[in-house]
Amino acid sequence: MTSTNPALRHQVIRIYKDLLYLGREYPQGYDFFRTRLHRAFASQKNLTDEKKIRKGIERAEFVKKEIEALYYLKRYRTLRQRYDKS
Amino acid sequence: MIRTAFLRTARQAIRSAPRYHAPIARPVARSSLFQSKQVAPATYFQAVRSYSAHAGLSKDEVEGRIMDLLKNFDKVQDASKLNAQSHFHNDLGLDSLDTVEVVMAIEEEFSIEIPDKEADAIHSVNQAVEYILAQPDAH
Repeated sequence: MTSTNPALRHQVIRIYKDLLYLGREYPQGYDFFRTRLHRAFASQKNLTDEKKIRKGIERAEFVKKEIEALYYLKRYRTLRQRYDKS
Repeated sequence: MIRTAFLRTARQAIRSAPRYHAPIARPVARSSLFQSKQVAPATYFQAVRSYSAHAGLSKDEVEGRIMDLLKNFDKVQDASKLNAQSHFHNDLGLDSLDTVEVVMAIEEEFSIEIPDKEADAIHSVNQAVEYILAQPDAH
């Protein structure tokens, strides 16, 4: 990992941190999220091709958006339930 | 800032103390308090208390808090190897992602934000302690 572009390394670490912060409120619990996230990142650790790493970062960004969307949806559903069930 | 202003007006009222110019950019609270104590101990205002003054972190305290944090971190495989000199990777068996998590936990513990570059340089308990001690706003 040290041999590759340090800028990419920082990007990976940043997205990892972002995802961790997001994972705090994950419905199945933070520990569940953390172990899975860690596994997902660790499974890609032998990537050396810059293009592939960039792809991976893009995928991580996508996952981040998905999680955000999940939270919005969850909030929407909760609110909806509270207002509709009268 | 308010405290300096307050002290200054108080001093004017007392008029016994020689006027001195309180430096604003330095750690204002402590130095101004300390000096005014020396200047006029008898008329020193009891009402002025530095609740928000930075108490400073001792090295032992920082070390203890970081150790506690690592003790509770479930990925530390060999807790017996945990001491002030432990290296995250070599001694504790943490990979780089775990290190990121540890640094995040340290950030939270001391309510500071560590920039990516400096966070990347923290690889051992010792380095973390050094870094925290160098931060004036860590607590």
